[in-house]
Amino acid sequence: MSQSASQPNRLTQGGQVDRTQALTFTFNGRSYTGHPGDTLASALLANGVDLVNRSFKYSRPRGIVAAGAEEPNAVVQLGATEATQVPNVRATQQALYDGLVARSTNGWPDAQRDMMRWIGKLGGPFMPPGFYYKTFMAPASMWMTYEKYIRKTAGLGRSPTQPDPDIYDHMHRHCDLLVVGAGPAGLSAALTAARAGARVLLCDEQETMGGSLLDTRETLDDQPAAQWLKTTLAALAEHDNVTLLPRTTAHGYHDHHFVTLHERRTEHLGDSAPSQAGHRQPRSRLHRVRAGQVILATGAHERPLVYANNDVPGNLLAGAVSTYIRRYGVAPGHKLVLSTSNDHAYRAALDWKEAGREVVAIVDARTAPEGDLVAQAKAAGIRVITGSAVLEAKGEQRVSAARVAAIDVDAFKVTGKVETLACDTIASSGGYSPVIHLASHTGARPVWNDAIIGFVPSTVAGVAATGAARGVYPLGEVLADGVEAGTNAATALGFAASVDDADLPRVASRHEGSACALFEIPHEKATLRAPKQFVDLQNDVTAAAIDVATREGFESIEHVKRYTAMGFGTDQGKLGNINGMAVAARCLGQSIPETGTTVFRPNYTPVTFGAIVGRHCRELFDPERYTPMQAWHVARGAEFEDVGQWKRPWYYPRKRTDGGLESMAEAVARECRAVREGVGILDASTLGKIDIQGPDAREFLGRIYTNKWQKLAPGRVRYGLMCGDDGMVMDDGTTSCLAENHFLMTTTTGNAAPVLEWLELWHQTEWPELEVYFNSVTDHWATMTVTGPEARKLLTDLTDIDLDREAFKFMDWREGHVAGVPARVFRISFTGELAFEINVQAHYAMHVWDALFARGEAFDLTPYGTETMHVLRAEKGFIIVGQDTDGSVTPEDLGMHWAIGYDKPFPWVGKRALTRSDTRRDGRKQLVGLKPKDPGVVLEEGAQIVFEPNHAIPMPMVGHVTSSYYSPTLESGFALAVVKGGHQRMGESVYLPMADGRVHEAEIVGTQFVDPKGERQHV
Amino acid sequence: MSNSVHVYDARADHATVTAESPLAYSYQRSGMPAPGEASGEESCAVIGERAFLGHLILRGGAIVLDEALREVLGIGLPGRPNSLNVDAEGQRSVQWLSPDEWLLIVPGDETFGLETRLRAQLGGAHVAIVDVSAGQTLIELTGEAAHEVLMKSTVYDVDPHAFTVGKGVTTLFAKTSVILRRPDESRWELIVRRSFADYVYRWLLDAGEEYGIGVARESRHESQ
Repeated sequence: MSQSASQPNRLTQGGQVDRTQALTFTFNGRSYTGHPGDTLASALLANGVDLVNRSFKYSRPRGIVAAGAEEPNAVVQLGATEATQVPNVRATQQALYDGLVARSTNGWPDAQRDMMRWIGKLGGPFMPPGFYYKTFMAPASMWMTYEKYIRKTAGLGRSPTQPDPDIYDHMHRHCDLLVVGAGPAGLSAALTAARAGARVLLCDEQETMGGSLLDTRETLDDQPAAQWLKTTLAALAEHDNVTLLPRTTAHGYHDHHFVTLHERRTEHLGDSAPSQAGHRQPRSRLHRVRAGQVILATGAHERPLVYANNDVPGNLLAGAVSTYIRRYGVAPGHKLVLSTSNDHAYRAALDWKEAGREVVAIVDARTAPEGDLVAQAKAAGIRVITGSAVLEAKGEQRVSAARVAAIDVDAFKVTGKVETLACDTIASSGGYSPVIHLASHTGARPVWNDAIIGFVPSTVAGVAATGAARGVYPLGEVLADGVEAGTNAATALGFAASVDDADLPRVASRHEGSACALFEIPHEKATLRAPKQFVDLQNDVTAAAIDVATREGFESIEHVKRYTAMGFGTDQGKLGNINGMAVAARCLGQSIPETGTTVFRPNYTPVTFGAIVGRHCRELFDPERYTPMQAWHVARGAEFEDVGQWKRPWYYPRKRTDGGLESMAEAVARECRAVREGVGILDASTLGKIDIQGPDAREFLGRIYTNKWQKLAPGRVRYGLMCGDDGMVMDDGTTSCLAENHFLMTTTTGNAAPVLEWLELWHQTEWPELEVYFNSVTDHWATMTVTGPEARKLLTDLTDIDLDREAFKFMDWREGHVAGVPARVFRISFTGELAFEINVQAHYAMHVWDALFARGEAFDLTPYGTETMHVLRAEKGFIIVGQDTDGSVTPEDLGMHWAIGYDKPFPWVGKRALTRSDTRRDGRKQLVGLKPKDPGVVLEEGAQIVFEPNHAIPMPMVGHVTSSYYSPTLESGFALAVVKGGHQRMGESVYLPMADGRVHEAEIVGTQFVDPKGERQHV
Repeated sequence: MSNSVHVYDARADHATVTAESPLAYSYQRSGMPAPGEASGEESCAVIGERAFLGHLILRGGAIVLDEALREVLGIGLPGRPNSLNVDAEGQRSVQWLSPDEWLLIVPGDETFGLETRLRAQLGGAHVAIVDVSAGQTLIELTGEAAHEVLMKSTVYDVDPHAFTVGKGVTTLFAKTSVILRRPDESRWELIVRRSFADYVYRWLLDAGEEYGIGVARESRHESQ
């Protein structure tokens, strides 16, 4: 085979790429071409790009090592525009598309002129493990500064600074069986369970389903494996109980078989998701899967060998070499040396030779390898050096030679003379590590298996690993294992299934010799003095670093991990962890099972924030609750305040005569004057409303409220105060007696749901014998408060209710019509003025609202918002629960003794707590009014109060301001506050030292600033 | 009927009073894309509001309520949790909400008459009947992709094999809750709190965008 001119490493045939089409892409500013079917990694290798990154800590040049998720070096920043930047993309997992733009993530200011390379060269002695901890920790205050630059040189990609043009979403899925991985084991498991009738979800992280079948040398039923793959995928697609999700990584295994999958829907098509038939498509989708059973068919990662300079570009995994040749038609070099501990890796040399390239030698650590593949290699005339290994790679930007010698694996010693073999590629294989990450996420600790020289997953109930994921490697056994796993899962789910039903394809039997346990290759020099032998390429952890960590006393593998950073971050120890444990075990003089593993954590590979957020962003970030008058408020130019999830009009700025818009202070002053002198209207629909029915409704109210309810007659309304069982005020509102067994309770806007739950809690757990039901009617009734001296006049012509002050008294309610709509009208007041609260079915709210404004024109009916409502109620000393109270305030602290029925026959909620010594003691903070000495001052809400302004710091703080406003009626600032023993300190001065050095003086006064006798609301 | 409960007809005369459905503002602000508008093809998902229906919450013991309901409406309470009964015309339904709570949906102008007759039938039994007609609305969802739209929105298993016809649940929907039910093979129904209706509407349009979701213009107002 020869090579193409533009892509020097592209083979003229073989692989599953479409050579008839060229795709142009850019890497680090240079333009290249590849083909459909390529990954970014295969295209880079085809173009002979050796250097793809600088390493994390030492800034050494790095090349592509693997062909899948385990790639540690080729982590790139993707995106042609600022808005479409994606960090942390593995080039081995990124399908090539036309116009793709990628950059190296490491290397600042850029990969070629790298700031850190000199540090990296000096490296070793100056950057021991814990280097950053040791060097940059003092002074501690500077860490944030250091961290910024370390982070910058370390790379790891960056997030875009412009808004993402794409959309992402979530999908909730349920299935009987989730199969993760569509290699031979996963496919046969899925097909078996699907045939039994189970609802099966099969996901696979690669562009194409098939796993190892995509590049195997083996045949199934004497056909290339691809043929069986095609037939099987078609059979699965025919089942309507099967869902196939390619390009979908199971990245997290959570409790109760809840697994999250990241589906890359359009990442293979371009920088940004193309629209389809004019509709926007989500770029990525996060599937939240709840499965009955889970089969992990996640395969195995090949383990590289740890030898000196094993990070120089040109060092690859043996299996990756085969994958690039067989799947992508790319031979990533010309002269290969293969270093192995097992038979399986021999296929890399066979594939290399068949691609027309030179195999310099196979260096096998075993003294007498004897499997079929070994025989094939020998028959092909390949030199096999036994009992030996590659000790060291030579070369800086690319491998130039391999130093090879005989070794004694058990004694960890170089025993023979070193031979230097000229080559440009070193492939290594130390065997395989089952991909146990997802199983580990469940908390199940993996178990060492000597037979396969690796950890196999232990699993929780309902989860099974199959195939290579549990250390079963020969293809025929893998297929059978998948069938068994599928059968077991289906049976557990209650479907009839039997392994005998499967028609397994015929696999040519192959004799495989046993592998030897080999992780770290000895060097002539001791580990600490040898050239760097990398264990974790992504985090730049060397065998020497682990050696040092153990010498410094880190014996637990979890401590070694944290001290060296092995297996950190996005890598999660895919390539390096087992080797690292082996090195630690050797240094500590113990076995690998004794050393144990670290915990693999989610996510398996990085997930974009877009996919995590889904559609819960921007205008859909959180629900906005609207009243039926929302459109009117918007049209009227209201500013809104968030009250819980409600949008409530805050104030309605009008145009001033000079054309500008009123300030908030101006608008609020105008709205306040309108209510005190004319008439205003408030949309109070957000107030919580609970319908209470039942013969014991009245009794229940008496137990849940602090005050008395026995004598409230139908047609009457009463203010009620509610305490928690700690005796602290939790809510207040009015409750109306609609009929003997029927009440309507109102709650504060934010507490509507909690109060309903509170009532249900006491009813269901403490007093189930009481016959009473509670139902929320908050959204059913729209509420509009018409208030001010002109309120009666305005309403008179609009209603058939007799509004006469004697017929319809303060704290009465009446039924009738307003503007032709059936209504309940309540004479209750939160402003201290004459007020009517009109309740109509929400459908008719705008009809009534419009009618009120039509009639109200003559009275200059003024809509007011929550700010004006707050000023007006504070002038009257009406509390807002949650503003003037904070969960530590009793009714007595509020001076509301009149609302406590200590002599009620049944002990109401909170009564017991109000007799505790703490709630009875002197010196509790009590609600009072504050009148600033300077009427122009509006005290800050939250400002701390002291008695002695000249006291040395720390000053004894005796309370704080809870509500404070400017009152247009009083023409002065005024406030509500809690002050220690405040009720006994009327007329005394208190002081409020501010952050700017000013100290305000205020007089303690009663809480009712306007109309203290309460005459206006009775007119 | 006992006068221990205040029962009155709060429904206005729709001939003289303008009524606004809970989605009135949403139609104005977010629009009503016609089914298949963007693609020019048949839409894979269609939503339509059935406004101004009568919604009554029934609380009480299952046996007395079931007897009274059979007598007055001709259909009884559903026999199992998370299910609903629909009458022969498909116009009246009763759904289990909790062990002592059911939702009755009827044509809007039947609401008060039904409540009155039920109360008369129930006599002195301890029950509560609460009109919540204006507090919620019903949105129909139809089309091939209806199932996908729901999968994007709710954690509940909406696979047609698992969520069979006649099932109805109260469940999480995006960041709010809805009553979700399947009265027949072709339709899903969402019952949404009035104050959350706009959020649900915008969520549905967004979730259905890739399927070319549209809004049925002729929302079936049973009786106005």
